[in-house]
Amino acid sequence: MPAATAIRSALDWGSLAPLKLRSRLVAEGVYAGAHRSARRGAGVEFGGHRAYTPGDDLRWLDRRSLLLHDRLLVRQFETETDRALRLVVDATASMGYRGSRAPGAKLAWAALAAAALARIAVGSGDPVGLTYLGGGETTRNVPVAGGREVFERILGSLEASQAGGDARTDLSVLDRGLGGIARAARRGSIVVVFSDLLDLPEGAADRIAAIASHGRVLVVAQLLDPDEVDFPFGGTVRLRSLEGGVVVETDAETTRAAYQDRLASLTSDWERAMTARGARLVRAVTNGDPVRAVREIVQAAR
Amino acid sequence: MTFVYALALAVGLFVIAPYLAHRLRRRRAEEREFAAARLVDPAPPRARSRSKLEDRALFATRAVAVVGLALLGASPLVRCSRLSLARSSGASVAMAIVLDDSMSMRASLAGSSGIAKLGSLTRFERARDGARQLLASTREGDAVAVVLAGKPARVALAATAELGAARAAIDAATASDRGTDLDGAIAMARGLLSEMPQVDKRVIVLSDLADGHPDASPVGKDSDLPIWIPLPELRAPATDCGILSADRAGPRIRVRVVCSLGTPTIGREVAIFTGKAVVAHEALGTSRTEDVSLELSQDDARKTDLVPLYARLSGSDSIPADDIAPVVVEAGPGSVAVVSDPEDEATATGGAPVVEQAFSALELDVAARPLPAVPDRVEDLTPFLGVIVDDPPGFTPEERRTLGAFVEGGGAVLLALGPHAASAPLGASLEPIVPHAVTWEPTSSRGVDAKTAASLFIESAGSGADLDASRRTVFAAEDLHLLKSLLKWTDGAPLLARRTLGRGEAWIATLPFSVEASDLPLRPLFLALLDAWALDARARTSPKRTEAGVPWSFPGARSVEAEGPEGVALVSHDGPEPKIVPSVLGLYRLTIDGKKEARVVAPAEAEIDLRSRAAAESTSGKDVGDSRAAVDASPVLALGLLVLMALELALRLWARTRQAAI
Repeated sequence: MPAATAIRSALDWGSLAPLKLRSRLVAEGVYAGAHRSARRGAGVEFGGHRAYTPGDDLRWLDRRSLLLHDRLLVRQFETETDRALRLVVDATASMGYRGSRAPGAKLAWAALAAAALARIAVGSGDPVGLTYLGGGETTRNVPVAGGREVFERILGSLEASQAGGDARTDLSVLDRGLGGIARAARRGSIVVVFSDLLDLPEGAADRIAAIASHGRVLVVAQLLDPDEVDFPFGGTVRLRSLEGGVVVETDAETTRAAYQDRLASLTSDWERAMTARGARLVRAVTNGDPVRAVREIVQAAR
Repeated sequence: MTFVYALALAVGLFVIAPYLAHRLRRRRAEEREFAAARLVDPAPPRARSRSKLEDRALFATRAVAVVGLALLGASPLVRCSRLSLARSSGASVAMAIVLDDSMSMRASLAGSSGIAKLGSLTRFERARDGARQLLASTREGDAVAVVLAGKPARVALAATAELGAARAAIDAATASDRGTDLDGAIAMARGLLSEMPQVDKRVIVLSDLADGHPDASPVGKDSDLPIWIPLPELRAPATDCGILSADRAGPRIRVRVVCSLGTPTIGREVAIFTGKAVVAHEALGTSRTEDVSLELSQDDARKTDLVPLYARLSGSDSIPADDIAPVVVEAGPGSVAVVSDPEDEATATGGAPVVEQAFSALELDVAARPLPAVPDRVEDLTPFLGVIVDDPPGFTPEERRTLGAFVEGGGAVLLALGPHAASAPLGASLEPIVPHAVTWEPTSSRGVDAKTAASLFIESAGSGADLDASRRTVFAAEDLHLLKSLLKWTDGAPLLARRTLGRGEAWIATLPFSVEASDLPLRPLFLALLDAWALDARARTSPKRTEAGVPWSFPGARSVEAEGPEGVALVSHDGPEPKIVPSVLGLYRLTIDGKKEARVVAPAEAEIDLRSRAAAESTSGKDVGDSRAAVDASPVLALGLLVLMALELALRLWARTRQAAI
């Protein structure tokens, strides 16, 4: 287990807890004025089967398949899959970082935004799924599903999430998280990726941007801690990255401007990659207003 | 815990605190997590290096400044070991400083091991520092005299109120290899103070008290004047071995080594070397006095015949100066030129000449070499210890010149006058020894007057009580005042006399060495005469070895030059004759009226015994002096602080300029 993961065994929620309450408040703030478009899962065109997940609406359980194949399958319809919201939360070690001025860790903030989006989607009758990039042992993906139960499952998953894993050294982290989405997400699906984009491996921008193909909507929300934006340190500092094992001793005043330039350059590169594939990049700082950030994501997803 | 301890702790904390603060500031930067560390550049090395240098310079300046401040604050409490005069009544003081400049004071203050360490102070240097400290504590109105206790004790400065002269006298004092005359020096100091008007008189002895008499009465006992013997460190135990003499006779060299009591000699050896080559060596024995015999190989003996050799003692001790000594070539069995009429000799004895038989009987290792006449050239007399001229029929001008040069150059002549001398032909005379003609006259006087005998003949004069001679030589009345009588006839006429000519001396007998003229050659008095004269002749011609401090005088010499171990030796012309007082061990090369000779200065045996005499209890100096004194260093410290402040300002300005340039 990497050291960073061991240190961040528990997520620093800070003032962002309790997630359920906070996410509802955020969602209500975003939802105000939007029209409701519940589908209730009733579809016209059969869209195939998928494995049953506890919490699925039993009305769509395919009893024939159960009798024929002894497997629990759920019938899907086009109307359900078209607007499915797939939340991808980067839970690698770097997302566990919380600076001195942030209300909580970046992962906590991502969880809040993701929960709010899930509530909005559930409120609109859209199915929601949750996938992690990396994460600790207690981190569990939530398959795409509709109904109020899925929101609870997503909340439970987010609340149990831990930051862990090193995407820079373990390239399979990205494959495990994004592979399933690239295969399963259908046209019209909305994929929202929450990540700081700091420690992802080379080529990650292109691979994530590739999700935006086949009529899928991709929104990448870059979450940064205020300290990562301002680099507020002074004097000689010794900094250790949470992923990749980089240790740097530097004079903060001397290197601040260069750091900010490199951060801006990184963000710019991601923005270019997203724009090229029709995806959107939304930037958020964890000490900012989550309502506003979620609203921007929603608007970017339209 | 007293207040002073608490204050000292506080001062120490005051000094250490900036250092700790600096260390805390200079500690490695605390490592912290930062997710975007990958995007941060390390600081440029140049900037880091400059920062370090600047910090160190500033830190050093500040640390020194803080130490200076601490010292400034503590200076009233600072006391160091300095000698000073105590003034119970506040009156002026007359003090005589007895500064020991003997060889034992060359011992280093190396501690109980007694081994000299490079760079460590010697006893003499410490004593001289003590004398300077004492002078620093004097005031206007005080009188100071300086006496040097190296043998012979001498006055370096008579009592004076001129403190500048006292300082100069102390500065001019140098270490020497003399013996110690401590009692003489103290007596001299007491005498110098006796006429001073000050009521408070003190004698301060800066000495190791090692005068070779450790069991003598304590120094300062029953003294009428207060005597203070400070600096007990001078009397710390020390060990020394020294070479007293190194004599060579042919290939054999005999080295005499003396060690102070308790000096380890195991592993030490005596080596003979020339230049850098060791030609012989022998281990040193364990007894306190050792005679080490070494023998050179035939080759080495031949090669080193004309080359100076040195004996060296290996190992180290408190006084390195006496571990090396020049090897002196012994005079060996010298010879004496005997000028006499061979026919008379042979006729009278029927065998060897009487003088030769006498020398043989005396076992003086002196060979009598008969010469038919006095040589015409002085070089022909150079190999001889002296010349015996028995009843010469006067001297030719050439002979007179030869004899004159020989005697005045330091030679010894024994002239026996008889009937031939009294009947010198025209043109021949006895000059330069006897200026006027002598006569050979009958005498009724029998025997010699033992009361008139010089010390050399006191024992033997009795044998001449009934000396039988029908005739004797009579000097001209004008010549009598030139002669110094050694022995007289009973009627007061001289039988033996001597006359000093230049640096040499001529002994004159008024009887010839012929048994026909008298029975003198058959008497012990004759042997005593030859013995005394031969010893005098040997002493005049052989290389001399004397102790340091024993003066060399050169009566009659016109020019004397000397080069010693420390360069040109000072020749004093204060007295009636030139004089040199060698004070350093080693070989001296002298040129006396153009004639070269070598002399050696050896250590006094007593100086190698480093055991100190006891000091009387009254000399501890509780009432007359103090070995501790406060030191006011505040002006120097304050000046130093100002300099440091300026330095810090300059450093800051420089750092700012550099930063602006970047």
